[in-house]
Amino acid sequence: MTHATTPVPAGMRSPGARFWMNNKSMLIGCGVLVVLMIVVPFTASSSVMNIVVFAMIFALPAIGLNLLMGLAGQVSLGQAAFFAIGAYTHAILLTKLDLPGPVAATIGVLAAMLVALLVGLPLMRLRGHYLALATLGLGFIVMIGVREWDVTGRTTGIYGISRPTVFGIPIDNNGFFLWFVTPFVVIGLILALNLTRSRAGRALSAVNDSELAAESLGVNTYALRLKVFVLSAGFAGLGGVFYAYQVAIVSPSTSEFHLSVSILLMVVIGGLGSVWGAVAGAFLVQFLGEGMRDIIPAIFPGATGEVQLLGYGIVLILVILLLPGGLFQAATTLWQKLPFGGKRPPVDAHAHAAEDDTTIPQLPAVSTPVAAGEPILVISGLTKRYGGVVAVNDVSLSVPAGSILGLIGPNGAGKTTCFNMISGALTPTSGTVTFLGQVISGRKPHVAAAHGLTRTFQNLQVFTSTDVVGNVYMGRYRKGSAGVLRGMLGLQSSEQSAHRAASYEILASMRLTDAADDSASDLSFGKQRIMEVCRALAAEPALLLLDEPMAGLSGAERDVMAELLRRLRAAGLTIVLVEHDVAQVMSLADHVAVLDDGVLIAHGDPESVRNDPAVVVAYLGTDLDEAEAELIELEEHA
Amino acid sequence: MLTDFLQLTVAGLSQGSVYALLAVGLIAVYTVRHVINIAQGEFAMLAGLGSAWLVAAGMPLFLGVLVAILTVTLVAIAMERLIIARVKKLTPLTSIILTLGVSTLLQAIMLLAWGPEAKGVPLFPGTNILIGGVSIRSQEFWMIGALVVVGGGIVLFYEKSRWGKALRACAEQPVAARIVGISPVAASVLAFAIAGFVGAVAGVVASPIYLSLWSGGVLLGLKGFVAAVLGGFVSFRAAIVGALLLGMIEAYVAGYVASGLRDGAAFLILILVLVVRPQGLVLKPTAVRV
Repeated sequence: MTHATTPVPAGMRSPGARFWMNNKSMLIGCGVLVVLMIVVPFTASSSVMNIVVFAMIFALPAIGLNLLMGLAGQVSLGQAAFFAIGAYTHAILLTKLDLPGPVAATIGVLAAMLVALLVGLPLMRLRGHYLALATLGLGFIVMIGVREWDVTGRTTGIYGISRPTVFGIPIDNNGFFLWFVTPFVVIGLILALNLTRSRAGRALSAVNDSELAAESLGVNTYALRLKVFVLSAGFAGLGGVFYAYQVAIVSPSTSEFHLSVSILLMVVIGGLGSVWGAVAGAFLVQFLGEGMRDIIPAIFPGATGEVQLLGYGIVLILVILLLPGGLFQAATTLWQKLPFGGKRPPVDAHAHAAEDDTTIPQLPAVSTPVAAGEPILVISGLTKRYGGVVAVNDVSLSVPAGSILGLIGPNGAGKTTCFNMISGALTPTSGTVTFLGQVISGRKPHVAAAHGLTRTFQNLQVFTSTDVVGNVYMGRYRKGSAGVLRGMLGLQSSEQSAHRAASYEILASMRLTDAADDSASDLSFGKQRIMEVCRALAAEPALLLLDEPMAGLSGAERDVMAELLRRLRAAGLTIVLVEHDVAQVMSLADHVAVLDDGVLIAHGDPESVRNDPAVVVAYLGTDLDEAEAELIELEEHA
Repeated sequence: MLTDFLQLTVAGLSQGSVYALLAVGLIAVYTVRHVINIAQGEFAMLAGLGSAWLVAAGMPLFLGVLVAILTVTLVAIAMERLIIARVKKLTPLTSIILTLGVSTLLQAIMLLAWGPEAKGVPLFPGTNILIGGVSIRSQEFWMIGALVVVGGGIVLFYEKSRWGKALRACAEQPVAARIVGISPVAASVLAFAIAGFVGAVAGVVASPIYLSLWSGGVLLGLKGFVAAVLGGFVSFRAAIVGALLLGMIEAYVAGYVASGLRDGAAFLILILVLVVRPQGLVLKPTAVRV
């Protein structure tokens, strides 16, 4: 994937030039593919033509599966099922109902998508291996279904599908057929490539790094994954439509497990997450299969049937063992070793954001849906039990807008549990969290995020597969609106460049500009923490939950952070922070709440909490005198 | 009526015993490596075709069966050592692709070695019996007996023996297990050996009636998976119960509805269970239980 990293102000280039800059590699690639496909019929032998045509047909389900595996992080072992549904629907509508080709094809694709939707609705909630095995089961169900149903012609299948006619020209040879299928593959490719770098595609790639963090920024993981699953089935269905045209017979073999394996192999060879890889993989697997069918009977006399599986199995294993990124990884590595390919010259990407340390950076925007002083967050009776252990016990408090609440307490007091229940990461056993008048407890984190509540994490949740600005950019997710469809059509570049510029400004406000283009996983612990705060601020929240924002920061960094939080409060942002640095909390917070053993033992302004004997006992030790001495020491230190 | 029902129940229980053994193999590997071994069913087919070939070549039945079972156990260990252990970071995605690769490779080898036709091991010795009109074939006793002896043995092994407890410890607390001296390598090898062994036993006892086919392993393995899902992928006992239930449901569908729909039942159950109760039939879903 390539992202345009030059945040040149939008007005400086003509729209045409900007389109070219943003889509250069995609346009060149598609151009090469189209030229190849135009030329091939004039030069290739008939057996090669046959392979090329099938490679283009199977490129479609491979592109779909690649989106599912690369973006949704899920593997389907039943891609052939959707392929078969598309092929059968198309064939039946053509032969039995005499529908026009485009109508039958559209219904075929929609039928595959509909089945995926019905299966995906319950199954996309599951994690790990389950979707793979459920889709494997679906493949068998579809195969059994078509074999047992009269409408699908049982074991004989559907035959007598007439060749399509385009502008009066019958598509009756492989050359014409290749030209017939190529435009659809190219359009599919462009849609898929656009999707991988769209708002939705980036969100899904963030989900693969840290689902919790992505959801806390407003990503509805389930809905997005479901959409990608349905889309991938649509690609498979379209492949099936062309298959029905080309072969003119649709039999139960189109739903066979081995077909799903070969489609999976195309994606694995090409490289997970690389759309071009899926197309290249489709060609390689077709040639490999054809080669194996020739070679193996020569080595093992009498071998018949699906002997190419020997090659498929070996290649699947070897690719995962030796080249997990597939051809895409090999090509990228090779490209970087070439003298002209390597690293691009450093561009002065963020000149407009450069600042010297004396200037006061611009403050990130915040949203202020209620007037200062009005309650923005109301917690009532919040309780979390784990078996017999009560982690948080009947905590009630209210946070006025435009203030900072410090939540403190000894280790294991239930602070983070409280946080997780407020942000939606945990469902409370009882009690409610009301944010801006809406009950958000027990809902997923993206619901709270959509209302303007974002958070950081005590155990950092960094999106490691992107750079620092990419992390902050993900924080803008809530402010964007482009969905899967707009993303696929590529209609969001102006929105994206605006968000990118905003991300640089936020980094500048925390003096992190220099690290903007570094890989997020290369940052120091403290810098990652600051980056997470930037990411949360990028969402322009109304309420910011910070889980130990000062941990791991240097003294100077703490001062920058504290100063930023004060200025954000002045701008109207409400902040709740959990922090171990009591002195910092006391100086920063308007109100302090103290948790001990899951119980709220004190809540008030810092002065009264500081002098509350219960707090002193709970927080600093059992002996009151000793505790007071420690407290005095602590204050002197501050 | 009742006779038919009982007859179907017997067939279902014997078939369910085969699924149960496969489920035991899947869970053994899953608890230690968090890998769902798609090649589990191939172990059964490999053992069935292998022993059929050995017996046809003149080897005594039980010697042929024994050799096949031991060979398949070694194949499973080789799979662990040569392939699974070589991947540094096994994600669900890579483990599925990898075991699918092994499954495909084993299928191709079986196809090349023994051809595309289904083959069966000769019937094991014994007499068929007839109780109240319900006939029970001797081979069905062998299938149910294999579950009782081998499946029961594995459960006992996990609960009573030192090695079994070590395997459970590896599954529950891998770091702590390593600290107290349980080798994760040995645990993983042992888990795959168990998977190969139970898969092979299932394959040879089922082969005389249900035959062995180079491409039949995926479907069979998936049935084992359905049973393992019913056991929440942690409980051998729940999975065994689930497998027997699955076998019976399949037999009733085949007997009362349509024999062609028999295989569809398993996957409808799978999808229903995943939707309604992904943690399976176990009551306490979080802890690893055997």
